[in-house]
Amino acid sequence: MATKRRVALVGARVTAGLIGMAVVVVVAGGAALVPWPTIAAEPSSTLVTPVAGDQLRVCPGPLLTLAADSSQADVATSVGRFDTVYGARVPDTGGVAVDVVRTDVSAVDNAESVRDGAPQLLTVPVDPSAAQAPLIAGAQSQTAASETLSGLAASACTEASSDSWLVGGSTDVGRTSLVLLSNPSTVVATVDLTVYGETGQVDAPGSTGILVQPGTQRIVSLAGLAPNLLSPIVHVQSTGGLVAAALEQSIIRGIQPGGAELSGPTTNAATEQTIPGVVVTPPSVEVSVDEGAVSEDTPTVRVLVPGETPATVSVGVVSEDGASTGTSIEVVIQPGVATEIPLSGVAAGNYTVNLQSDQPLVAAALTTVNGSVSRDFTWAAAAAPQTGEFLVYVAGGPAPALHLANTGTVDRAVTLTADGGAVTQVTVPAGQAVVVAVTPSIAYLVTGGEGIAASVGYTGDGQSSSYTVSPIGPQAEAIPVFSH
Amino acid sequence: MQARVTAIIVARNGAAHLQRTLEALRGQTRQPDTVVAVDCGSTDSSAELLAAYGPTHFISADADLSFGDAIKTAVRVLPEPEGEHELLWLLAQDTAPEPAALQKLVAELEIAPSVAVAGPKVMEWVAEDYIHDFGLSMTPYGSTVTLVESELDQEQHDDMSDVLAVSAGGMLVRRTVWDHLGGFDSALPVVDDSLDFCVRVRLAGFRVSVVAPARVSYAADGVAGPDGSSRGRASRRRVRAERSAQLHRRLVYAPAWALPVHWLSLVPLAFLRSIIDLLRKEPGAILGEFAAAFSAAFLGSRVRQARRRLAATRTQPWSSISSLRVSAAEVRRRHALTREAALTGVRGDRPEIRFFSGGGAWTLLGSAVLGVVVVGSLLGAQTLSGGGLLPLSDTIGALWSNVGYGWRDIGLGFVGGADPFAVVLAVLGTLTFWSPSYSMVLLYLLALPLAATGAWMAATRLTHRGSLRAVTAVLWALSPTFLTAIAAGRPAAILVHLLLPWLFFAGFAAARSWSASGSAALLFAAIVACAPSLAPALLVGWLLCVIASGRRVMRFIGIPLPALALAIPLVWNQALRGNWLALLADPGVPVPTAPVPVWQLVLGFPAGNFGGWTQLMPLWGGDSGAVPLLIPLLLIPLAVLALVALLLPGAAGAAFALLAALLGLGTAIGASSVSVATLGDAAVGIWPGAGLSLYWLGIVGAVLFSARGLHKVAVAPLVASAVALAVVSLPLAAALPLGTSVVQEGVGRTQPAFVTAEALVDARVGTLQIVPQQDGGILATLVRGEGARLDGQSTLDSTATEITPEQAELATLAGNLASKSGLDASADLARFGIRFVLLRPAAETPAAWGSTGEVTAAATQTTTRTTTSLDGTAALVPVGDTAFGQLWRSDAPTDTAEYGPIPADAGGAFGLITAIIAAVVIGATVLLSIPTGAGREAVRQAHRDAIRRASRLSKPPKPVRVPRNARPARGRRSDRAGTKAKPTPKPKPTPKPKPTPKPKRTSAEDDNHGH
Repeated sequence: MATKRRVALVGARVTAGLIGMAVVVVVAGGAALVPWPTIAAEPSSTLVTPVAGDQLRVCPGPLLTLAADSSQADVATSVGRFDTVYGARVPDTGGVAVDVVRTDVSAVDNAESVRDGAPQLLTVPVDPSAAQAPLIAGAQSQTAASETLSGLAASACTEASSDSWLVGGSTDVGRTSLVLLSNPSTVVATVDLTVYGETGQVDAPGSTGILVQPGTQRIVSLAGLAPNLLSPIVHVQSTGGLVAAALEQSIIRGIQPGGAELSGPTTNAATEQTIPGVVVTPPSVEVSVDEGAVSEDTPTVRVLVPGETPATVSVGVVSEDGASTGTSIEVVIQPGVATEIPLSGVAAGNYTVNLQSDQPLVAAALTTVNGSVSRDFTWAAAAAPQTGEFLVYVAGGPAPALHLANTGTVDRAVTLTADGGAVTQVTVPAGQAVVVAVTPSIAYLVTGGEGIAASVGYTGDGQSSSYTVSPIGPQAEAIPVFSH
Repeated sequence: MQARVTAIIVARNGAAHLQRTLEALRGQTRQPDTVVAVDCGSTDSSAELLAAYGPTHFISADADLSFGDAIKTAVRVLPEPEGEHELLWLLAQDTAPEPAALQKLVAELEIAPSVAVAGPKVMEWVAEDYIHDFGLSMTPYGSTVTLVESELDQEQHDDMSDVLAVSAGGMLVRRTVWDHLGGFDSALPVVDDSLDFCVRVRLAGFRVSVVAPARVSYAADGVAGPDGSSRGRASRRRVRAERSAQLHRRLVYAPAWALPVHWLSLVPLAFLRSIIDLLRKEPGAILGEFAAAFSAAFLGSRVRQARRRLAATRTQPWSSISSLRVSAAEVRRRHALTREAALTGVRGDRPEIRFFSGGGAWTLLGSAVLGVVVVGSLLGAQTLSGGGLLPLSDTIGALWSNVGYGWRDIGLGFVGGADPFAVVLAVLGTLTFWSPSYSMVLLYLLALPLAATGAWMAATRLTHRGSLRAVTAVLWALSPTFLTAIAAGRPAAILVHLLLPWLFFAGFAAARSWSASGSAALLFAAIVACAPSLAPALLVGWLLCVIASGRRVMRFIGIPLPALALAIPLVWNQALRGNWLALLADPGVPVPTAPVPVWQLVLGFPAGNFGGWTQLMPLWGGDSGAVPLLIPLLLIPLAVLALVALLLPGAAGAAFALLAALLGLGTAIGASSVSVATLGDAAVGIWPGAGLSLYWLGIVGAVLFSARGLHKVAVAPLVASAVALAVVSLPLAAALPLGTSVVQEGVGRTQPAFVTAEALVDARVGTLQIVPQQDGGILATLVRGEGARLDGQSTLDSTATEITPEQAELATLAGNLASKSGLDASADLARFGIRFVLLRPAAETPAAWGSTGEVTAAATQTTTRTTTSLDGTAALVPVGDTAFGQLWRSDAPTDTAEYGPIPADAGGAFGLITAIIAAVVIGATVLLSIPTGAGREAVRQAHRDAIRRASRLSKPPKPVRVPRNARPARGRRSDRAGTKAKPTPKPKPTPKPKPTPKPKRTSAEDDNHGH
């Protein structure tokens, strides 16, 4: 009896134990397999739309020349007055004008600033209640015809930035390149210039820590930082205040001035760049060229890949005149080295150059014009696509034209409304570009221009210049702010 | 003249004892001349029994009649007394006189006319050779003293005669005196009725004497004198009655001029005595203490009546009875004896720990060495940083000001309840009062030895074998969840792991000892404060204990109270928000973590990646693909050992352990899938490690049961699983030396030195800290003075779902500062009292354990944007790069800042009330937890129980074998007699190991086994 009961007891205990073990294993194992629902607290944030700041534009001022006096080779002096056109409109109102306050920027490095005028600071105070920043545009132009400096230099009044690229210039013999740094903000800007050349980044003493006081313009000779560079590219970075950077380049061939250009910053490094308004003119005289060499007059695109990786760049040339003569070449660009890509064999005409790359790059295109008496050259910088309605002020100059390149994938019907009411309508097919002749010294309000990269170009007899129409900067992007 | 005796017998539901009493009355050699039976509303057969006896008068009275009043009722039906020879014999249902009792008593009164009251020797009902009480007296201060109590009667006290008083049961009193004095005082219904009466008899010029040959057996049913049962309710009522009686007599006996003093001292004394009650482990007496004080204070008419009656009959001065009082020296001697007995009782309760001989010291030493290896790199540190570690407030005052309901100085600050964890930190910081932050360093340095010692102590509850205790300590200290908590800088989780074994240690003994119960309550509160996510699991365990505890339920029922008292302000705030789930949020610094797969939790890794093996295996030349196979394989011996326990002796305990493990696992899984707090754009999950600590506790417990059941066979698998665990935990244990831990020696600051220096001048200097977030947004918080402190963190802040208007304003300022903006910031900076703006490194994505987080492109962009914008803000001057980020200074005067100063008395009345509640509850629990030994009452009770037990044991075994099914009945009967017949209820239904001698194994049980 007793043993039977004992056996039964042990059996019961073992059974209970086994059941318990099974329960534990199934629960623990099952827990690992079941997809458990999750409950997560949603972070709460305040989406802060920053108060729009005053819209500021800096017109870089008169053309300058160095070494008018050989004892003061570093002192820049201006060579005449320049004309400015500017204005502002309330967006989406069909062109209601807004007052622009114009003030002088103190050009401390220019001895003749009083005579020739100072760089201009255009200010549009922003109504904090306004949903959108006003449309503001301005441009300046100057035609020089002195012994040392000649040519047309038109430039847009640009927005200050902490990070901009100047593609252009040269510090070779006979070339003068000046970097103009204007600080329109209220705090001191500390500017670092990084110069890249055809051999890579240049170790340039004195290129960093350039102090630009609020409301002043500093002039830095690129030759003083990096002499004997054929194709410099300058990266302008500022801390503290923002600076509007511009590059003035002039050429003397022998004793003859070979042109002048005042170019604004190109767009920041990106894998896609659009350079509208590359105007190729037929060479007036045949220039003998060595076998395999590239003529100085050949249109070229100067590019820099700022990163560490070589980039494969496809350069497309799209005609703006409706001609189907577009070409495309593919090149591999070494990083950190300013490289010139010649656009050989491109017929005369208006073109938009598109660059597609697998690495971010900066670029600008150089074209030359040979007039009957003089020569000039143009740096066409890359232009950023517009985000909507935009305003174009056309500075005075010969035969101005508005170049519109559609960077998008849909056709755009663009309406240009000139001051006075004349309306021009053009359609820019996707990926294509058009050129529209415009009247100097008036403003055009362009609607329907989303995705359009625009520039204004001038072509005269031995005169050429260009400036890009930049979209209103990405000022007021809302930011989520978390409180804990 | 021949004495005439009227026996008055009072019964209330006393059929069980009445039979014997009536038999005894019938068997008296000197029969009473009249018998009056008073039945106080009995619902059992008492009335029939009384009637069957055939009393001269039978009175049916109300149930609530006190003994004294019942006697008075009976006396009223008697004819007027004819003279001194008329005697009243006061009997109750449970006072069974021996045959010669009445004869001896009457003889005493007949011999000495001056004697008005004669009392018998009151014997125990069951243990008839033990004296229950014999003669009463008072101390010089008026406390009742039973002259002889619970002693074996060897006729050693038979020479006593004149006493101050005798007890009511069996008392023989002259009727004339009774009537003259008005009988017992109605204000003393239960206790001290006869003492007070005898005192008045004495003061009226008569004598009171005891008659040793007259013996009465007494069962303490609660009719005459208090109920002697050891049940909680009866004993609480008795204690209250004793105190009421004492206070009443004090007010009655006091001279008139002393009355106001006594009256004013009633409530303060109640407070004082409550503290003593707690120290005596008699928390049940506290309510009675206050009830007695208030009834004495506000039922003045009873005192007035009694004083008038005393004054009317008193003929002798008080000094006449002073010689009959117990002298102060004698009182001291008696107290000393009680104390000794109490301490003995407490020592007897202690389990056999044998810390030194059992290997505890070696375990401590070994784990200390291991601790030095693991956290040795922190040896010289003064503060720690990384993970959830921050310095504590610099002063003890500041530490404690962060406790309770009041101003939470985090961000813009708000009024709300602090996390209970702040109390834990305040206690820790107070321990290292010279530098509160050093307590965190100490916690780290001592973590491993403390964990090992805790586990070793917990193991003493389950086994006496030193080797098993040592292995338990190793398994506990090398737990992956514990080592992860150390490496991840989770002080709360470390504390949970350190405290859990102690909760088991204390909870196990809670049924036996109030001290252990109090300790368990404090540990429960500390653990829940450290890891609120453990509260549900612990409450389930508590509920099981309450259900299983039987009559010791009072020792368990209050265990969650301190935790609740601490959490009241927080619960209130979260309830107002309707965010109940947020109560589970981990206190301390919110640290976002990457999600962990559940199967990693099942393996015991709270942060996943096998505790770092995934990363380390390739570094050490192995194949990382092998890790998911190798690690579970190494843990299998442990799992098997834990499961096998279910098949071995002690399976019930193992089942409970495994249930705890499953509860812990459930907690961990629940915690890992719930996130209630946020930090910037990241959700902050609940740390699953706390749940895993409970999981591990259950597993280690089951392994211990298994090892106990397997005896020698267990050695090899035990050692194997411990070694395997050591291998598994290697990357975690080596995290600090390897540098994979986020914990490092802190610099003592959480802000750049520039700000700290400024904070010395202006303690409320504001710093706007901006942290770019993964989604491109920013986290903008305002930090005052020296910066964030661990004790200043608040889950009310981290779990807030709404943004206050002030926060929105600050966010607007921060958003504009981080953007190119036209806002003139100087006015807002001044308004918020911001002197500095600190741009901290961008938040990284929460990384899996062992790998580093990444900064998203959006965050990098936001950093650039914010830097540019701050640089360009005219109101800010760049200071430069610091170890904490880029710093800007604002020179706008902040004298008129709207925000900044801490409002005075932010907590208000609610803060005060909750603070008082928490202080009272915690204070009472601390007092209760101090092991001072059993109280006087408990010792008295233990004596009586011992006597009854001894008397039963001394009886010869019954010749007739009791049928099996009759046994429980017998057990119940002995229970009713007030003995501890039940086996000691276990605090957890875990059977104790057989080799451990069970304290208080009861005789009833032994009897049953014996037959």
